[in-house]
Amino acid sequence: MGDHNGEERSITAEGMRRDFGALHAVDGVDLEIPGGRIFGFLGPNGAGKSTLVKILTTILNPTAGRATVAGYDVQRQGGKVREAIGVALQDVGLDPLMTARELLMLQAELFGTPRDEARKTAARLLVTVGLDDVDPKKRAGAYSGGMRRRLDLALALVHDPRILFLDEPTTGLDPASRAAIWEEVRRLNEEFGMTIFLTTQYLEEADRLADEIAIINKGKIVAQGTPLELKREVGDEVVELQFGSREDAASADDALAAVAANRQASNRELRLYFGRAAENVPELVRTLDAAGIRLQGLTIEQPSLDDVFLRVTGEGLEHEVDEAGDEGSASPAEVTS
Amino acid sequence: MNDILLLIGRSLRNAMRQPATIIPNIAISVFFLFVYNSGLSSVAQLPGFQGTYLGFILPVSLVSAAVGGAGLAGQTLIKDIDNGYFTKLLLTPTRRLAVIWGPMVASAIILTAQVVLVMLLALVMGLKVATGPLGFALVVVLAFLWGMAFAGYAAFMALKTKNAAAAQAATFAFFPLIFLSYTFVPKEYVTAGWLKVAATINPTTYVFGSMRSLLNTGWDANALLVGFAVTFGFATLTGIMALWAARGATKMTS
Repeated sequence: MGDHNGEERSITAEGMRRDFGALHAVDGVDLEIPGGRIFGFLGPNGAGKSTLVKILTTILNPTAGRATVAGYDVQRQGGKVREAIGVALQDVGLDPLMTARELLMLQAELFGTPRDEARKTAARLLVTVGLDDVDPKKRAGAYSGGMRRRLDLALALVHDPRILFLDEPTTGLDPASRAAIWEEVRRLNEEFGMTIFLTTQYLEEADRLADEIAIINKGKIVAQGTPLELKREVGDEVVELQFGSREDAASADDALAAVAANRQASNRELRLYFGRAAENVPELVRTLDAAGIRLQGLTIEQPSLDDVFLRVTGEGLEHEVDEAGDEGSASPAEVTS
Repeated sequence: MNDILLLIGRSLRNAMRQPATIIPNIAISVFFLFVYNSGLSSVAQLPGFQGTYLGFILPVSLVSAAVGGAGLAGQTLIKDIDNGYFTKLLLTPTRRLAVIWGPMVASAIILTAQVVLVMLLALVMGLKVATGPLGFALVVVLAFLWGMAFAGYAAFMALKTKNAAAAQAATFAFFPLIFLSYTFVPKEYVTAGWLKVAATINPTTYVFGSMRSLLNTGWDANALLVGFAVTFGFATLTGIMALWAARGATKMTS
């Protein structure tokens, strides 16, 4: 497979900006993603994730800045970039009148694959994404949301791309479909050294899959590093205190200022970050007792990416995830904490 | 070239899967032919009328078939944009213009088939083409080019508005073009001054003139030249408009 870390699988951006009128959808993004990595781009709805993906995949011109994908300039060498990348956008693009096999064959042929080879590729990819047992005459317009996502992923793979862009690939999927896509993403990365640029608003998805994560908020990258590095920045352990009311949580936040410098209040909870949490618990309880604030619960846990997100943006991702998750039980934010 | 052929094939296959997008257009053309030919054929008895009324009214039916068929190009593009497949195609190394030309040429092929079908029907009804098989072929070519001109216009409207209803409404522009001309009777019998002015500036008049000369009166170099020049000019204009809209819609970066 050659050098998986080389330029031909890398992504870079310098001062990337895209404005829509007065809105800075992407506002000065710099990236340096070596080949062969799974790079998670985490942020809430409207943070600028999809806009950046569209720029990097050549379908949207930036207002300013420069980017290279697979070693090619996205503005001046768009054709070369498109030959090297596979893309599954958030809005799945399928012709509803065509069958999965027809779509895959056409896609492969448009990438220059001879017809016989395209037929084999289509058959192989239908197995890969688990659509080989679907009625071959069934048209894409009759597919369920999960099937459409899987077919879209297969379409992105017809030409064995060196870099795969997945824009929120599991949004709205049930847990089983989500797990299947995660497994496939990991396999593509491990077996073929494919660089994967994955945008997500799901903390668990970024945490489980990504070698490196960038958090984007309001068009700017506000934190970047491995999941472990990012979590360590907020502390080694978290003490979560639960209160009966938002007011109690706010009072506790004030009262504990001297005990824990690093705190995040959210609704009726207060999260405190320490090097070693257990040593500080007696002091916490005494301080709250002295202030007359009634504690309803206390847990000690590892920091999550939500803690990182809270710290760098001042707000959590959970509400966005709840809105986005079509199938409520699948909210990964709940699993994360 | 291969990418254009692949995308033409796809558009043709999709059109066959939705016969409802083709049949009404053929039905309207045949309806025009039957109704006007049987209802107005006595016009041919007027002094100075050359040829048959069937040969005179057939171009109205053919232009209607051509223009209606051309609308399919716009509809296909709108559907592709709406369902995201347009973007999917832009993410392949396919030339940007192939993405636009695929539906346009496919609709031109379909409208040509419709035109031939209507002409064969006219032959069955007793049409005698004054200029023979070559004239027959030239009538088909004129209808094809006129259809391409409208396919360019339909593609332009689809790419600019990205709205199915707006693109559909825009194709109604062809009605005044068909009827503000010497549609039912020759020029000599039209008395309304305003209609004469409208007909003179209406390019369809010259397409009708060319076709009628080929079908009814014999070889007429002047009528042919003007008809083909107007058709080429109109097709070039709408082709440039479609290209311009395509550049914006595809955000071409290379």
